[in-house]
Amino acid sequence: MSVALAVWSLVGALRAARPSGGQLLLAAVLELAILVQAAVAVVLVATGTRPVSVATFAGYLLTIVVLLPAGVFWGLADRSRWGNGVLAITAVTTAVLVLRLEQIWNG
Amino acid sequence: MPPSTPPRPPSSSGGRRPAARPAPGARPALRSGPGRVLVAVYAVFALSASARALVQIATDFSAAPLAYLLSALAAAVYVVATVALVRSSERSRRVALVSVTVELVGVLVVGLLSVEDPVAFPDATVWSGFGAGYGYVPLVLPVLGLWWLRSQRPGRRRG
Repeated sequence: MSVALAVWSLVGALRAARPSGGQLLLAAVLELAILVQAAVAVVLVATGTRPVSVATFAGYLLTIVVLLPAGVFWGLADRSRWGNGVLAITAVTTAVLVLRLEQIWNG
Repeated sequence: MPPSTPPRPPSSSGGRRPAARPAPGARPALRSGPGRVLVAVYAVFALSASARALVQIATDFSAAPLAYLLSALAAAVYVVATVALVRSSERSRRVALVSVTVELVGVLVVGLLSVEDPVAFPDATVWSGFGAGYGYVPLVLPVLGLWWLRSQRPGRRRG
C-alpha cells in the first residue's frame, strides 16, 4: 500500500498535478492499517512476545505511526506538484520503516 | 561551485499550473516549492538520526562512544537544519547554510574515516561509508541543500 502511494504520488509530482482525494483516501487506509499493526505489536510486546531490541523497535514503531499524518499535513499545505513530492517521500519512508520493523522483530 | 549559476526565471520554481502557486512576488521562502520536499527529507533524517543516537547512547554507549557521539552530532545537525529551513527567515537562512555545510563536511570526513579505519568505527553512524546504509541520501542531501539555499539567496540577480 505504501509503495502504491509512493508511485501514485511520484507520478503526480512528475505530471505537476496536485495531490488528489484518492491519494488521501489511500493514505488514510494505510495509516489505519499501521495503527492496527502497531496495536497488535504493543499487545504482543506487553504479553511477552518481544523482539531482541525493544528500544529500537519502539522507536521505529512510534516513528511510523506519526510519519504519515505529518507528511500528509506538510504536503497538503503546499498544493502544487511539490506537495506530491512530499507525499512520495513520506510513502517511501513508510515502506522502508515497515521493512526495518519486520527485520527488528525477527531479530 | 561555479560563481555564475545559470539564471532561473522566477516563474520556474512552482508547478506549471498558475493556480498552484500562491502569492507570487513574495519573499522567496525556503519552505515552499522544492524546499518543501527538502524540508520533508530533512525532517525524516532529523527524526531517524535522533532516534538512532538516543537508542545507541541509552542502551550501549561504551561499545562505540565515538560512533555514537557522531550519531548524536549528526542528529543535532539535521534538527538544526530542519528548523532553520522551516523558519526561513534571513537569520535562519544563514543558520541553515552553516548546518548544511557542517553536514557535508561531516558526511565526507566520517565517510572517509569509516572506510579507511573501520576499527575506529565498530558500529555504524548515519554518516558511515558516506551514508551507504541510508541509500547515500546523507551524501546527496547537503549538496541539494546548498544548491537550494544558493538558488534562494535574496540578493541574487535574476535574469
